[in-house]
Amino acid sequence: MDILNSLMQGFATVLTPFNLWMAVIGCFFGTIVGILPGLGPSATIAMLIPLTFGMNATPAMIMMCAIYYGAMYGGSTTSILLNVPGESASVVTCIDGYQMARQGRGGAALGISAIGSFVAGILGTIGLMLICVPLAKFALKFGPAEFFSLIVMGLLTIVYVGGKSISKSLMSGVIGMALGTIGIDVIQGAPRFVYDLPELMDGVSFVTVVMGLFGIGEVLVSAEERMKITPINVKFKDLWPTVTEVWQCKWAILRGTGVGFFMGALPGAGATIASFAAYAVEKGVAKNPERFGKGAIEGVAGPESANNACTSGAMVHLLALGIPGSGATAVMLGALMLYGLKPGPMMFHTNPDFVWALIASMFVGNAILIVMNLPMIPLFAMGLRIPYRYLYPGILLICIIGAYSLSSSVYDVWVMLVFGVIGYFMKKFDIPGAPMVIALILGPMLEYNLYRALALSRGDMTVFFTRPISATLLAIAAIMTIAFSFKTVRIKRTMLEEKEE
Amino acid sequence: MKKGDITFSVIGMGLSLWLILESQKFAYASKFGIGPGFFPFWLGIVLAAFSLFKFISSLREKYDEDDRKPRLPGWGSLGRLGLIMLIAAGFALVMSSLGFIVTVFFFVSIILFVLEGDSVLKSIFYGVMFSAAVFLIFRYWLEVDLPRGLLGI
Repeated sequence: MDILNSLMQGFATVLTPFNLWMAVIGCFFGTIVGILPGLGPSATIAMLIPLTFGMNATPAMIMMCAIYYGAMYGGSTTSILLNVPGESASVVTCIDGYQMARQGRGGAALGISAIGSFVAGILGTIGLMLICVPLAKFALKFGPAEFFSLIVMGLLTIVYVGGKSISKSLMSGVIGMALGTIGIDVIQGAPRFVYDLPELMDGVSFVTVVMGLFGIGEVLVSAEERMKITPINVKFKDLWPTVTEVWQCKWAILRGTGVGFFMGALPGAGATIASFAAYAVEKGVAKNPERFGKGAIEGVAGPESANNACTSGAMVHLLALGIPGSGATAVMLGALMLYGLKPGPMMFHTNPDFVWALIASMFVGNAILIVMNLPMIPLFAMGLRIPYRYLYPGILLICIIGAYSLSSSVYDVWVMLVFGVIGYFMKKFDIPGAPMVIALILGPMLEYNLYRALALSRGDMTVFFTRPISATLLAIAAIMTIAFSFKTVRIKRTMLEEKEE
Repeated sequence: MKKGDITFSVIGMGLSLWLILESQKFAYASKFGIGPGFFPFWLGIVLAAFSLFKFISSLREKYDEDDRKPRLPGWGSLGRLGLIMLIAAGFALVMSSLGFIVTVFFFVSIILFVLEGDSVLKSIFYGVMFSAAVFLIFRYWLEVDLPRGLLGI
């Protein structure tokens, strides 16, 4: 009952003209970002942070959340019409979505993707609501030792699942943590690695790093390839899947929702893995698995539902524990801190209006997205006809404006450009950027909790193993490390054997 | 890819060395536990270990056909990217004196004319359109405080 009352309060906050407007803008930008290759939700959210400084935290975060799940909606459009995923989470949608489009069923693929995303978004938000409250209550028992262990676990899983090469992900994460040590240290409040540069006193801003790595870096990769895209045409009247097709997909949507939400709730698993897992599940349970890859509608419905449900799952640990599980939620965590909020279990007590407004906005946002998406998909798809040479100067400009308006200083623009070049090379050499960003945000939190835990235990290092919750979290982290190590060795052996054959 | 992995691991080793050496300037321990030098020092050690592992595994690993293909584009494409970054750096250099809106005009026009081969008129047209859009959206609607420069625009 408490949950329902709080949710109603949340709806009362969201359903004000300004907050609704922010949700609409977020959904619109999110869909555009999802559709256009070259700019992801992390960079877009980061770019918008400085522009929302004058706002209250609630409308600003409503907009950012809407961008996040809007991008998941939009990502399928390019996968289906172009065979080019707008978002990494939509890679798997290309397999059957593009085949459907080639068979003249592109509209049905887009329609089922929007319907699946809507159902998954709503069910995922219900799941978020039901899990978040007890989890936050449980997390109130956490002290610095538990938070330290939780952050270690979160960082490890993010790193292991983050990229093709574990060692590169680990290095990227450690470099991110090292970047986080620049500025005023959390222990004595003295400058560290500042070298008399006043701009470094506040540390390296995660916003500029995100915009550089994911915004400028992506633009450089795309500009190098001189993208030429010719989408398959879709008309409004073709957008609706038949009743039989929707009925055929009902279990795929529900299974996708379950898989996506579960994967999202695991720190680090992310929407891409969730969509691949949902595809594998669909293929596994199908009576005729040979249809997959040739335009099976369940191959679109399952993964698209999964990547949307995943966004709700990812919000679970952001809101309840204050730990991000993906690049986009890491940026949102940073944004929350910039607005003066302290994400984590206490937020349900200190800022309940904000938390419930955010949860309610996810219901409203999903409704806005389905209303906006179904009729406007052909219009959004027209955006794909804009030549990339006119798009990338625009993306560069938005990044520059975003970086400059952080502190009205050209310094941030320089930092962003430098990270843009770094981001380009990282992308070219398959070095994942997400672990670096997440570690940049979590690093100072890790150090602070380590310091507090040791201060409270008078320097006793065993505190992390003697407290049951902390020990359990570390044990999970250790098991995951061992499991992933075995998996990597096994994959490498298989690859070697295949090569020898 | 092999060269890229080796380069990355060498950069990692360099960074770790820097972290270890620089962390010596700060106290390793404090009265209540760790000091400001503790975390960077151990980060340096961990990064050194990972980098060394990556370095050795890159030397020993057999890369397949796909991984052996050069990851970076030819000099022509790299030059093009260099020019984009150079123009963006120029933007950052002159925007305070020229003003943001005027700089946007030059930025877009130069990119389209020099890099994309558009005609002068077309480049100028898009330059004006982008400047107007930035003015209307960011200065007029969102009221972002962008530099006005000598012309006061």
